[in-house]
Amino acid sequence: MSLGAADEVAISSMSDADISTFLKEHLLTLSVDECKKVVELLGRDPTLTEVHIFNIQWSEHCSYKSSKQWLKMLPTSGPTVMLGVGEDAGIVRFAQDGEDVYGIAMSHESHNHPSQVVPYEGAATGVGGNIRDVLCMGARVIACADPLRFGDPNGKEKNRVKYIANQVVDGIAGYGNPLGVPVLAGDVYFNSSFDDNCLVNVVTLGVIKEKDIIHSAAPPNSEGHDIIVVGKATDASGFGGAAFASVVLDDEQEEYNKGAVQVPDPFLKNILVRASESVFAAARKKKVTLGFKDMGAGGIMCATSELCESGGVGADIDLEKVHVAVEGLEPYVIACAETQERFAWICPPKFTSTILRIYNEEFELPRVAAGARASVVGKVTTGDYVLQYKGKPICKAPASVVTKGIEYTRVGGSYITTFREPTLKEPTDYGSMGLKILRHPNVASKASIYKHYDTEVQGLAVVRPGEADAGVQAPVPGKYWGVALSVDHNPRYSRISPFHGAVNGVAEAMRNVACVGATPIGMTDCLNMGNPETSEHFRDFIESVEGLSVASHKLWLKDYPEKPVPFVAGNVSFYNQSAAGNTIDPSPIIGCVGKIDDYRKVVRTQLVAAGSNLLMIGERKDELGGSVYYDVHNELGKHVPELDLEVQRREMHAVIDLIDAGLVKSCHDISDGGLFVTVAEMILGKDADGKIGVDVTLGASELAVSRLLFSETPGYVLEVDFSNMKEIEKILGEHQVASTVLGTTTNDAEFLIKEVLEVSVASMAEAWTSGVVEAMK
Amino acid sequence: MIAVLMFPGSNCENETKLACEAAGMKAEIVRWNDVSKLGSYSGYVLPGGWSYEDRIRAGVIASKDKVVAFLKEEAAAGKPILGICNGCQILVEAGLIPGSGKLEMAVARNENPLVSGYYCTWVHMKKTSSKKTAFSAVDEVMAIPIAHGEGRFVTKDKELLAALEENGQILFRYCDVGGEIAKAFPDNPNGSTDAIAGICNKEGNVLAMMPHPERASWMRQLPGEHAGGEEAGPGLKIFESMKRYIDEN
Repeated sequence: MSLGAADEVAISSMSDADISTFLKEHLLTLSVDECKKVVELLGRDPTLTEVHIFNIQWSEHCSYKSSKQWLKMLPTSGPTVMLGVGEDAGIVRFAQDGEDVYGIAMSHESHNHPSQVVPYEGAATGVGGNIRDVLCMGARVIACADPLRFGDPNGKEKNRVKYIANQVVDGIAGYGNPLGVPVLAGDVYFNSSFDDNCLVNVVTLGVIKEKDIIHSAAPPNSEGHDIIVVGKATDASGFGGAAFASVVLDDEQEEYNKGAVQVPDPFLKNILVRASESVFAAARKKKVTLGFKDMGAGGIMCATSELCESGGVGADIDLEKVHVAVEGLEPYVIACAETQERFAWICPPKFTSTILRIYNEEFELPRVAAGARASVVGKVTTGDYVLQYKGKPICKAPASVVTKGIEYTRVGGSYITTFREPTLKEPTDYGSMGLKILRHPNVASKASIYKHYDTEVQGLAVVRPGEADAGVQAPVPGKYWGVALSVDHNPRYSRISPFHGAVNGVAEAMRNVACVGATPIGMTDCLNMGNPETSEHFRDFIESVEGLSVASHKLWLKDYPEKPVPFVAGNVSFYNQSAAGNTIDPSPIIGCVGKIDDYRKVVRTQLVAAGSNLLMIGERKDELGGSVYYDVHNELGKHVPELDLEVQRREMHAVIDLIDAGLVKSCHDISDGGLFVTVAEMILGKDADGKIGVDVTLGASELAVSRLLFSETPGYVLEVDFSNMKEIEKILGEHQVASTVLGTTTNDAEFLIKEVLEVSVASMAEAWTSGVVEAMK
Repeated sequence: MIAVLMFPGSNCENETKLACEAAGMKAEIVRWNDVSKLGSYSGYVLPGGWSYEDRIRAGVIASKDKVVAFLKEEAAAGKPILGICNGCQILVEAGLIPGSGKLEMAVARNENPLVSGYYCTWVHMKKTSSKKTAFSAVDEVMAIPIAHGEGRFVTKDKELLAALEENGQILFRYCDVGGEIAKAFPDNPNGSTDAIAGICNKEGNVLAMMPHPERASWMRQLPGEHAGGEEAGPGLKIFESMKRYIDEN
């Protein structure tokens, strides 16, 4: 058996050593055994193109070969799910208006390796790829959030860390701003575990009516449909990107790695988005069913084979019909390059001319970007998935074989941890300790970052970054519906305990959404981890997934007892480790979307009036493991917050009900930096110019003052009217939630705890606004 | 009917159209190469974005588009034309603002001590001319957002500045919350000469402004404690003013 192609590779007659040499020569990451498996699967020797195809499809990035079986622990269905995992983006049910059911499409991706190697382009293409995922569901893309993790800005890699941090922020801004997608949320952590591997995650939201969803699949009975490739002319950029994302970064291969990063073109993307929206409208008008898919990892091959596989069909694609930027590209490069700003359509022939007209004439792709256009490249068939080049098939196999992937059973190893609690003296001056914590870049104001981002474009913003614990938008103009978004995870908690770190990530993301008054309805996760082939790192991964699973089940959907808040999209990024062995803290980063029926009920962080009561929900405990307080003492500690999820859920649902009843004037959760930071940020407000202060009493406690002020056990601080206390206590009682009155708000611009500390707004503002600026300078 | 003119790279066309409609005008988004109905519109809005990816200078390539040459005729005929952000840059590059038909000013890179390059924030502006224009039914200090990297009005020609002042063409200036003209950052967010935020032509029917009124046209869009619901926000006054001008002429 043979395809008779010129580039056939005679694997079956090679020795293992020969195979190994062949793989190295072609910079392939397949193992020798995997290479033999290709022969077995096809029943013949593969072509070079096919080897490249399986090299991509069987990469960790595409196949989830190590993670798949464990991810089954996560809940992915439930009453809020409109479209679960499996397509380019998941969709949660959001609101209904007559017959129109609105959903929020969500996607969450990482672009960690590219951002470490070429940070501006890496971050920009990360945003671009994630936006494409949401767009190709037929949705209107309305927001992004950017969870970022950088190395220690004062450590041994500080110059590179600062360079990467600044370039990543510029890359996100340089892509999202011109495209016209506002940034709604984000978080940033700096620590030395990210010195050699920064993390750049992106969460994107879109809004769509259920009836308008376009699936990432060939439509039913689509034999004879046209396959169209649209966008930038294919070049060699990003060739090998998926495989590159699935290995340990090695400085020696830096130049090759740079070549695996794609080149962003937000200008072309801006026009492609608008043209594609025009295609959506035309298809709806003519009631045509289409298949549409983003071209990301694995390029044309991945996108088209997955479209076909999902529709149970095959394809006949002529690679010579693909519009290319340069002549002489190898066929496997045309098939697999990850050139940005491209999509694949499957459409009935009667609609082909409409699609071509919209892209090529109305929006003039060929004029506005050299070589860009929409081209018909093949037809849907009922047979194999076939790629032709110069009249000969160079890939021929059932679509299900091409896309099937590979699976490994990996188990976690065990390791002994030696974490211990430090013995620290109580600070002599709690105020100056508080200021030191406010200046820590993981706590300090992120304004110098988010001011680079367009938070206002599209005109949908209600609560923007810095104003509250979650961002809020009014996604459907004219309606009072609000969608809230927060992204969270504290890497230092996971360094001590991957399980509790993951639980805290879920709890905090939900808590932040609740703090504005919204109810969590769906989540995304991106598991950023070390090398899965190392058993202890794989254990970190498993424990993280377990943490996400437990938390999402116990912190169930409000009004749906026992129904977990579902994960509707996610991503796994392994090999976040340098060749020297520096591995990132396990980082299961969570995105949480919430819904508020009337955005006018939203509350923000900043104190509103003097003379209010300050109410605390959530008992203080001695849980400083991984805290900022320990970090400023160069300690890590051991006791991370271990959550009673039953209590967490009741507190969260109580806060949502209190805000819904209009009983809360401002609200902020207790997390990084503890109670001190929470109250300080409520005084400061996003612009650090607050005029309202507080007079707080800590009350009797067995805990040391440092624990009361700086322990990061979760909780909430609420500003409420004294006259409403009875009604508030009633709602808290219904949820069996206890609260403490911390004190009152005052007209003095200071943070006062008699006999403990007295700090002015001016000094807090100086510390809080300087931390990140200094870290990135 | 208002034409919201979309160039390759525009990104504020949808919300700008909604703001026109909220002010009681009909509006449609018109693509740069769709010249079929151009003469039939009663006014034009050039929305924000980065036409032709800000190649060479923001706005300069779009200013050479056929549709902009046509706009010059429409301006001369007295139709109202509003350029916002990138639209403002295009009108200045096209010489429609200040209005001699030649390039007289630059909308240069921001000067900002906090963030270099692109900067997005809320500021205040107010009307600083008593001239009757198509856009000036704005009396109080207005909270409004800016979002640009090149928004600093600048010229070396002192006589030009004096003439603009004399003609009442400096319609909007950045100010503090109490209405004092901005003296420095952060009230003046980009270092614009004399805190200029918007300039109109001598006749008062063409306005180029860097802040985004369409992002302050509903109270929900305002930040913090000023936020409200779907009721009209301060920025809508500029579109309402445009409507009144069209109705009166």
